[in-house]
Amino acid sequence: MASADTASASSFRPALAATYDGDDPSLLERILPLVDIIEVSPDTIARSDRAGVRLRPEILDEFGAVLPQLRLVAHGVGLSIGSFDHWNESYLALLDGLFSRFSLEWHSEHLACTIVAGENVGTMFPLPRTEEALDLVCERVAAIQERYRVPFLLEHVIHLLPDAPAEFTPAGFLNQITSRSGCGLILDAYNLECDAYNQGLDISAFLNELDLRPVRELHIAGGVEHKGFYLDIHSRRARDTTLALAREIIRRAPNLRLVTYEFLKEAVASLGHDAICAELARIRRSIHQ
Amino acid sequence: MTQLERYQRGLLDLIKRRGTPPCDPYLESVAGSRGLEMVREIALWWRALQLEAQCHFTCRLLKRLNCFDALVRAYFEGNPTSPFVEEQSRDFLAWLGTHSDDPLIRTTAEFEHALLEVAAGSVEIYEVLWDRHPERVLAALENGAEIPLAEPNCLYRIQIGAQVADTVACTREVRE
Repeated sequence: MASADTASASSFRPALAATYDGDDPSLLERILPLVDIIEVSPDTIARSDRAGVRLRPEILDEFGAVLPQLRLVAHGVGLSIGSFDHWNESYLALLDGLFSRFSLEWHSEHLACTIVAGENVGTMFPLPRTEEALDLVCERVAAIQERYRVPFLLEHVIHLLPDAPAEFTPAGFLNQITSRSGCGLILDAYNLECDAYNQGLDISAFLNELDLRPVRELHIAGGVEHKGFYLDIHSRRARDTTLALAREIIRRAPNLRLVTYEFLKEAVASLGHDAICAELARIRRSIHQ
Repeated sequence: MTQLERYQRGLLDLIKRRGTPPCDPYLESVAGSRGLEMVREIALWWRALQLEAQCHFTCRLLKRLNCFDALVRAYFEGNPTSPFVEEQSRDFLAWLGTHSDDPLIRTTAEFEHALLEVAAGSVEIYEVLWDRHPERVLAALENGAEIPLAEPNCLYRIQIGAQVADTVACTREVRE
């Protein structure tokens, strides 16, 4: 029997979120009635100037203006939790700023490395699935959980490079992280499809092995195929196959609370507000089937 | 050096085309992979997108001169780029100001760099010398018109600063 915290997945309808990173109040006005939560990336709403890196006050004010209607989660891209030497302290300063202004339901990051020896890699790469990487990530998750007393989730990223020699399977590595650290997971349905297409990931086997209880959030996005790769450029509507996979995960993950449609700020012009709103309505219908 | 450090430093070198070829079997497999080319392309695509958004005039000029992609790549591969867009843009423009052989690229980059520094809170007054009418150059970059030629006997002295009236002031000096 499911505990109170693990209510039956089939009877629970996850909330719907959309990414929004400011500077487009008319879009915010249109998507707010369609979603339950807004996902914001602290890095994307930041500016670096002579005084350092800080959140742009005009965007915080945008959120502040709709606060009675607004529930927020944060999803970072720049923490670099897996860097061998140190993570990005500037990101934590941004997160401090966001927490000081808003009440966040939870926050999350990518299980990845974006900075090496202080240098920006220009992209994200996954960590080798080794004890060494596991120890490093779990230690840092503990520090984050101590610093912010709301749940912290990690999201798997796509693999474009060959896998490093590993001591764990992809699901086994995530299981170790969640069981040792107590953090939650974001599953990204489109990322899984990318890994299946690009690297031959067996999604069924992955989901069968993965402990789905820590999965709190599910990402849905649409990307492009380029030179024989599926890329996680969040620039399109979700494919039907992505939604079908999302429904399967929703059915199986007992603690999943949120489904987020991710689209890049840079893609809003090409997608258009109408299409984004239509996609949110489509995703809500699909995930509540 | 731990295995994690060796891998991450090795991947950074591979993405940025630096250093000697790896002697580690895993890094060798990455070096020969299709995925590495894709990762390099993605990293450069993001840099280009961000720089175009921030360094409007300079990027238009570089595209007009068909050297945008090559210079963005040279900058990315040769420098420790910042994860923050504004900082990266200022660094790129400062780098162009000292690494380009083309005087118009250098001048445009110096000018736009000064604008970004002032916008970022610098209290310095920057001076940039143009060999042709700067406003007409910027207008040409904006509307696609032909870029004016250098004026051999003229110098346009531009000052940029928060203390300067309207932030930018220009004087034209004619040499005898």
